[in-house]
Amino acid sequence: MNAADFQALLPLLVLSGGAVLLMLQIAFVRGVNRSAALATLTLVLAALSCASAVEQAPRQVTPLLVMDAFALLFCAVFCLAAAVTVLLSGDYISYHGDEPEEYFLLLVLSTLGACVLVSANHVASLVLGLELLSVSLYALIAYPNKSILPLEAAIKYLVLSGTASATTLFGFALLYAATGTLAFDALGEQLTATATGRPMLLLAGAMVFAGLGFKFSLVPFHLWTPDVYHGAPAPVTGFLASVSKAAVFLVLLRLFLDADLFRYRILVELTGLIAILSMLAGNLLALLQTNIKRMLAYSSIAHMGYLLLVFMVCIERDNRGLAVEAAAYYLIAYIATIIAAFGLLTLVSARQVEREDVQLQHVSGLFWRQPLLACLLLVALLSLVGVPLTAGFIAKFYLVVAAVDGSNWVLLGALIVGSAIGIYYYMRVIYYMSRKPEQQVSQAAPADGLAVRVLSGALIVIILLLGTVPQPLMAYIRSIL
Amino acid sequence: MTDAVTSLWPFLVYVVAVLLLVATMLGLSFVLGQRRANRATNMPFESGVLSVGSPQIHIAVEFYLVAIFFVIFDLETVFIFAWAVAFFELGWEGFIAVLVFIAILAVALVYELSTGALDWGVKTRAGAPRPESRQPQEEQH
Repeated sequence: MNAADFQALLPLLVLSGGAVLLMLQIAFVRGVNRSAALATLTLVLAALSCASAVEQAPRQVTPLLVMDAFALLFCAVFCLAAAVTVLLSGDYISYHGDEPEEYFLLLVLSTLGACVLVSANHVASLVLGLELLSVSLYALIAYPNKSILPLEAAIKYLVLSGTASATTLFGFALLYAATGTLAFDALGEQLTATATGRPMLLLAGAMVFAGLGFKFSLVPFHLWTPDVYHGAPAPVTGFLASVSKAAVFLVLLRLFLDADLFRYRILVELTGLIAILSMLAGNLLALLQTNIKRMLAYSSIAHMGYLLLVFMVCIERDNRGLAVEAAAYYLIAYIATIIAAFGLLTLVSARQVEREDVQLQHVSGLFWRQPLLACLLLVALLSLVGVPLTAGFIAKFYLVVAAVDGSNWVLLGALIVGSAIGIYYYMRVIYYMSRKPEQQVSQAAPADGLAVRVLSGALIVIILLLGTVPQPLMAYIRSIL
Repeated sequence: MTDAVTSLWPFLVYVVAVLLLVATMLGLSFVLGQRRANRATNMPFESGVLSVGSPQIHIAVEFYLVAIFFVIFDLETVFIFAWAVAFFELGWEGFIAVLVFIAILAVALVYELSTGALDWGVKTRAGAPRPESRQPQEEQH
């Protein structure tokens, strides 16, 4: 390794160094505010160091990681998202007198996992990143709030996610047995040499896809999603729903692109089928929810289904550029929107118990009680629906263009039907928010965290900016692909 | 194949005989034996010791924690051994890498010590006020 390698690896080094420092800080001087400040500093520095690392991009650092501009862009996005999560959690954490400092440590570690995951082009680094991400998440779900609901969520996530990891590992072991290599591109070459249709390869493909599909909560493997989203503390849910999903999606995309798995039509058509199932099932089940966090969980399944559509588009080599561009834009818009939505949900009700359990009634009359908060939540929801002028619209539009380009009419139909169903349940929240104050069932005391307000406001501005002037980001993504 | 069969058949006969014998013993005693439910029926017989108390013993959670730490640090020595085997091939680069690895382990140890994870009974924690003398949990045997 030389200086250029270290420069390219800078974001990961900053994150790891920050985590070690944070651990020492917790060991010697405990203090929530100090830990939060150090974690924020680490994450922001890591995000800034991406700008320096991009000078060396693309660069293969050790056989495990490839630091290209695409990976670095998402490293920066993940670090910023985690920094926002740290700040959003401040109010939440202040309710706990019992050593909440490690929360920030875990958050930095899971961001490191996500960054490793987006820059992985080797199975070893994929598994490393995946485990770093999910093991920190198990603890994050239960750590800040030791009541029944988060503990149940954490145990469910631990057991199911552990099974999924084991399945993925087994699949990779079978792939290794068949091809003798673990690097993504070499894997692709070796697969060409071996005969297709061997039962071992089919089994390996199915196991890897099932495991990653679980982490990504696609429809046959989605059952954990609502319970975990429901039980986890809202800022953690936001992080889980945005960063961890995006990281897993990006590594799956890189695996498919580098190993050129798009030539296996059956496999790609399987992703298409799962995409349709996710869109429909996610949206239909979201209709039945009265808990807003559960509703967002089901809607996230649907959103992941929309996103998976790019795999079908990628079959044609000519469309790949557009498809990856659409996916990147969609992910960035989705991360901003979801973190804003969950951050605002923490503000809706200050009482600890109700925070994990935000029912529709709790937001009833919000427009009259807290107009600013309600307006911000409105923008976040509209962005999830995909209404023009918000980031969600441009993102969805991008996906539609990609689908039209690849002439995937069935997927496009499912996308449109899904979005139409989605309008109903998002609008229902807005309807509840706009009810007259006399009708409201509960008078939950609103939380007042100035930092949270400022941050949520900033996120909303980002959403609106992404929706009104998307050209700079589009141009940047296009230039690095 | 036939060689294997000819050399193994006494063993197979033996296995079948053992199974038959056990099945006969259990089966006959099941069919012919008496069924009583006296007070002493389920007590240990002859060489056994009469049990006292409940079998549900509370094991202090420290055991679990120490076991976890043991597994973690034990596994990490495995990596150091792997480096030691290839010491001369890896040179200074490998040395520095292992140094970083051991430094992180040391930080973890410092963290564990100062958070009181290695204390037995009363926990002391850095930064947090020392808890007023709590009785260490009595173990019930």
